[in-house]
Amino acid sequence: MTNTKHTYQAMFLLENGEVREKGFSAVRDWLKGTLEKHSIDVKVLRLYGERKLAYPIGGRVRATYVLGWLEAEGEAVNAAMRDMYLVGPAFRMRFFQEAEIPEAELAFGIEEVNDADLVILDDQPEEVIEEEYVEPEEEKAASKDAADGDKKTEGKADDAKAETTETKEEPAKEAAKEEAK
Amino acid sequence: MGKKTHKKFDFKDTEDLLRYLSGQGQISSAKRTGLSAREQRSLKRAVKNARFLGLLPFVG
Repeated sequence: MTNTKHTYQAMFLLENGEVREKGFSAVRDWLKGTLEKHSIDVKVLRLYGERKLAYPIGGRVRATYVLGWLEAEGEAVNAAMRDMYLVGPAFRMRFFQEAEIPEAELAFGIEEVNDADLVILDDQPEEVIEEEYVEPEEEKAASKDAADGDKKTEGKADDAKAETTETKEEPAKEAAKEEAK
Repeated sequence: MGKKTHKKFDFKDTEDLLRYLSGQGQISSAKRTGLSAREQRSLKRAVKNARFLGLLPFVG
């Protein structure tokens, strides 16, 4: 079978913690190195942005997005994906087969980003400030009334119970008296 | 008569994709969007890819 090269657009989601720690250039070089290890021709690799995820992925709330344009064989893409999911800062990625690389994208090339300019926010979830609930006085009064009502009904229920026990006891007492006679 | 061009949706263009989603994040029907079958398929793929990459929510 002949292995033909295709053009791919790839989007990588990188862990913010590692990008902050190692710097974007180091992470980008790792990404490029891993792709090239699998004989993938990296045409463009650029920072797409650091943004909040639409939903948390594995406890992460924010991520650094890297966009790439590559030329590779299908098998090489699969192998690279497997490799990157095993080790490294990339926790999610997807490759899309495209007809050609747009010229606007080609202009980026392997983008150099000054790490000092790149602001990567903390990927910890935002703290939720829990305010203490203060019950309004009207509600307080209403709940008090309800509680009193419950007590009264409970009292009535106790009385009813007592009555039933008395009625049960009475025939037993009478039977004992007759036996004594 | 000119050849009809089909709109291709891009998973990165979340603002455009959001126009075709309901408040709960569901893809609107072709009847509602008014797109052709090919365009509706393109929209579906773009939304699903954007969801996978955390650009769009699955719900809400």
